[in-house]
Amino acid sequence: MLEGFGSSAATFAADIDNMLYVNLVLSVVLFLSVVAPMFYFAWKYRASKVKDENIENITHHTLLEITWTVVPTIMLGVFFWYGYATMKTLRTMPDASDAITVQVEGSKWKWRYEYPANSNGYVHKLGGAFTKPVVDENGRVIEKGSMGKSALYVPVGTNVILEMTAPLGDVLHSFFVPAFRMKEDVVPGRITKQWFKADKVGEFDVECAEYCGTDHSYMYSRIVVLPKAEYEAWFNSNDDTPKGNYAKGGDAVLQLHGCKSCHAVTTDKQLIGPALKTRTLTKDQVLDVIKNGQNKLGYDMGAMPAGLATGTDAQEIAAYVAGGLKGTAPASFAACSSCHGEDGKGQFGTAPSLVSYDATLLAHVLKHGKKGMIGTMPAFPYVSDEEVSAMAEYLNSTK
Amino acid sequence: MSKSYFDETHCAFGHPKSTFMQWMLTVDHKRIGIMYAVVMFTFFFVAVAAALTMRFELFAPGQQFIDAHTFNQAFTLHGVVMVFLFIIPGIPAVFGNIVMPLMIGAKDVSFPRLNWFTFWLYIVGCIVALSSLFNFNIADGSLVFNFADTGWTFYAPYSLNTDTNVVTTLVAAFILGMASILTGLNFLVTIHRLRAPGMDFFKMPLFVWGIYATAWIQLLATPVIGITLVLALLEKYFGIGIFDPAKGGDPVLFQHLFWIYSHPAVYLMILPAFGIMSEIIPAFSRREIFGYRTIALSSAAIAGVGYLVWGHHLFTSGMSDLAKTMFSFLTFFVAIPTGIKFYDWIATMYKGKIILDTPMLWALGTIITFAIGGLSGVTIAMIGADIHLQDTYYTIAHFHYAMLGGVVFLFFAGIHYWFPLVFGKMYSEAKAKFAFYTLFIGFNLLWFPMFIAGYLGMPRRYFDYLPEFHIYHQISFWGAIIFVSGLIFMFYTLIQGMRNGKPTTPNPWNATTLEWHLPSSPPPLENHTKVPYVDFRPYEYHHGQPVVKFDENMKRID
Repeated sequence: MLEGFGSSAATFAADIDNMLYVNLVLSVVLFLSVVAPMFYFAWKYRASKVKDENIENITHHTLLEITWTVVPTIMLGVFFWYGYATMKTLRTMPDASDAITVQVEGSKWKWRYEYPANSNGYVHKLGGAFTKPVVDENGRVIEKGSMGKSALYVPVGTNVILEMTAPLGDVLHSFFVPAFRMKEDVVPGRITKQWFKADKVGEFDVECAEYCGTDHSYMYSRIVVLPKAEYEAWFNSNDDTPKGNYAKGGDAVLQLHGCKSCHAVTTDKQLIGPALKTRTLTKDQVLDVIKNGQNKLGYDMGAMPAGLATGTDAQEIAAYVAGGLKGTAPASFAACSSCHGEDGKGQFGTAPSLVSYDATLLAHVLKHGKKGMIGTMPAFPYVSDEEVSAMAEYLNSTK
Repeated sequence: MSKSYFDETHCAFGHPKSTFMQWMLTVDHKRIGIMYAVVMFTFFFVAVAAALTMRFELFAPGQQFIDAHTFNQAFTLHGVVMVFLFIIPGIPAVFGNIVMPLMIGAKDVSFPRLNWFTFWLYIVGCIVALSSLFNFNIADGSLVFNFADTGWTFYAPYSLNTDTNVVTTLVAAFILGMASILTGLNFLVTIHRLRAPGMDFFKMPLFVWGIYATAWIQLLATPVIGITLVLALLEKYFGIGIFDPAKGGDPVLFQHLFWIYSHPAVYLMILPAFGIMSEIIPAFSRREIFGYRTIALSSAAIAGVGYLVWGHHLFTSGMSDLAKTMFSFLTFFVAIPTGIKFYDWIATMYKGKIILDTPMLWALGTIITFAIGGLSGVTIAMIGADIHLQDTYYTIAHFHYAMLGGVVFLFFAGIHYWFPLVFGKMYSEAKAKFAFYTLFIGFNLLWFPMFIAGYLGMPRRYFDYLPEFHIYHQISFWGAIIFVSGLIFMFYTLIQGMRNGKPTTPNPWNATTLEWHLPSSPPPLENHTKVPYVDFRPYEYHHGQPVVKFDENMKRID
């Protein structure tokens, strides 16, 4: 059973369970009304016991026919009513003045939450991708997957409205909280809403229920219901994490923003985006930049023009850069070093490092997104400067 | 010994000498039905293999032997093949072809050449579907597995964004849809124009009613999926923006269009199956069916109301609450005629003589499984319940109880029922019964735990799951093993019967409908020797014996 499932954690969860209970009882009655006579007749009129002349060709019985039409119809009416009434409870949003409204964004494959500004004018932004569980070679789970510090924090006994959407260009998701018995799709270009009022303090799993691609089954999040005072204290602070010992530093930041769902950090594995262990450019990528120029990083200084080197010169540069700038630089590297430096480490604000990640490069990519050789990386405009430097420092330490 | 349809045939054109070419070009409805069955069950096993792969992967949490992307392709393959290649052509393509003309005393369908063309169009669709499995790499001549990873529902915008071969799959579905439309058209005309003299609509066997209601759905609903697929292609290649929110389009619109067809399509699958049930129950109760008219008209009612309920797939999609209420309300009106059918079948057993041969076992087994499938469908027709259960394993269990435990089980019932008619031979009853019990137990073990897992919050289409759900996946796994063993054993038994079975008489079950009054078994090329005059009801029994008897010239001798 999922965390919190049995505790009937939202005000309307008990209504849904009651409805399902009534439905189960009536369904069993209807089921038996078909299957019990079937077994009875199959036994009572078994071939060995029936003489042919005792078979009766009864083809109508008006009263019976009316009964088995009307009685199930009434039961279906009951079902409809229950379904309608619970929908009304689930779908009638509380008054916004009497509720906390949180913006929810579902994207491949993470949930993000944005709160209204607190008394200091600070806006809490939470959420991120789920770390996959660690499995040994026999498929046993050694370490459970975890949400890290990403969760939706809400106070107990308070109405919470979720205004949900997905970025344009993303796909459908669905915000499903089994413990609350609620779910609604998240649709790009639309705002869908759902609400809840948590009854109990605790942690409750959130799952994505609308198929959204490769890591659909890892698009988890968690709702953490806090006592009111604890929630208020957190909400009015500028600290995004209410409790727990979450590792600060670059790794946690990468986790928080879901970078790891597309980029490998400590290995060279190619996931959806390039590995972040060092800035490893392939020969093809270097040649592509030399041939086509580079204006995707959003540098204010202007784009790198195409065709700075050609033919064998370009090949030599590509081999040198892809090899990690080891050994003697080819003479043609002079075409690069005027901007990227003799050591290839770039110049602040002018040209990115060819070997390691620096804060400027990360900031530009995160701010503007990047059209790479494989696909388009969307922009992550909400990443703060502190976070960027933490990431850069961390990434350069992974060499 | 008289010649059967296996010995001679009519061809679409020419008079080929080779047996192989005679089969390729045949316009005989019986041969075409058999060819459909061979191709469809081949694909059925492909889809079963894909499903079994998933069950192996899901045996334990975490990744076992395929990765998430491959898993997503596996369930798409399973769904696309099962739905578009197997169950939509399904019973109409096989038994609609083989049995329906025999039941109404016709020599063939109205347009035999069109029927031939339709079959080959279906084959073209299958080939296109197969070609979408792989990308051919020109550089080194290798094949790269790149089947769609969207699920069989192809929901936008995911289907428009992914790099897998969605387009080829959509084209295949489009072609298969065209074949479905032509089948429906052919059957409609056949039923209207080629009924034996005297046979009015209320003297038709109930299987023909099922096929008739289905044919209307094929004809009227299938074009909508065609339009939807074309719109998806236009969106993908020309960016018309109808489903793209960045251009003012709406991804939810795709779901509406998709289900406007795909929901009536499930009635297209189940109505002929109900027809098979209505044939088997009276034949193995040795008495006239109870409530003939209500069963016939309830098929028509289900086909009609079935058009108006597609929105119950969208209860959590962001659709307006008023629309949800309407769709939920209408959905319950499908349950009522379905329930009436069930009570009519049970009442047919009352004071009959119940003979538990294999077809009857399958029929009674299906009453249990489909009752569970139907009632769990009623549960998720309740909006509030669906908000919790939508897109969970509960829905998966419901769907498989209805489609596998309803349509496919009755398909199997039909295979065992009409097997002696088609081949003139009999399978081993004992083995066939053993296969039934194995399949029935395996089936329930496989799918019942999913109701519970779904209620507890196990979402569908999950490659990996939280350790809490381990036990349910394990039980399902063992169920799947038993189920697949049963399947293999059942087909082994049938093939054995086809090769070495005991020859049968034309009417081994003492059944009443016209397909059992053929002059020889297997039937001759042009079916009945003369077109009979039908002034009797389809299921007339007296003291457990068929009332209507014919001599070899189709003259009444009773």
